[in-house]
Amino acid sequence: MALIPDKDQATIRTHFDENLEGDVEIVMLTERPSPIIIPGKQACETCEDTEGLLKEVVALSNKLKLTVHDVGVGKDEAVKLGIDRVPAFVINGAARGKVRFFGIPSGYEFSALIADVVDVSRGTTDLSDETREYLAALTEDVNLKVFTTPT
Amino acid sequence: MAVESDRVTADVIEAMEFPDLARRYGVRGVPKIVINDRAEFVGALLEAEYLAQIRAAVEANGSKKNE
Repeated sequence: MALIPDKDQATIRTHFDENLEGDVEIVMLTERPSPIIIPGKQACETCEDTEGLLKEVVALSNKLKLTVHDVGVGKDEAVKLGIDRVPAFVINGAARGKVRFFGIPSGYEFSALIADVVDVSRGTTDLSDETREYLAALTEDVNLKVFTTPT
Repeated sequence: MAVESDRVTADVIEAMEFPDLARRYGVRGVPKIVINDRAEFVGALLEAEYLAQIRAAVEANGSKKNE
């Protein structure tokens, strides 16, 4: 059964058709179930659903691609991306900085995901000129952590 | 903002899945925004207010480096 209802898929597909510009690659880190049971080690409860959700999202446009790395197989990609927990994914495209999600993007976060995919594909946003000038002139790194809950 | 600057990383974190992070950053209400692990605020702000928060956090870091 699809995670995104058919009606919403149609809406998002149209939104992507009308708004996406450049290609976007979503790079996901997950931990798939292992046949080996390690006492005390908890399985990633939302990894499978997050991967399923992202697969449905990228299927809605041929400008979108999903690459999945299983940290159970190797941690090189996690180290390279500076990610230490799963599920997590990075949205890569024309955007200059990094946009990363940790945890399944459900509820309001899903809308943010769709909006971010479009913004990353364009490499621009609707931010004001003042904000964009300030960001362009930054001489040090800024990390913004946005904590949300599923709603 | 991360889209516009290669200096910016935006991390969207689902607090219920990562309670250790929620505890570390004292998350009691959402959305909670933490800037450079130092400045923070809760709730949605207008863009100008959001920018002011970032400016203050970056300037505070700059002041600290000059001490």
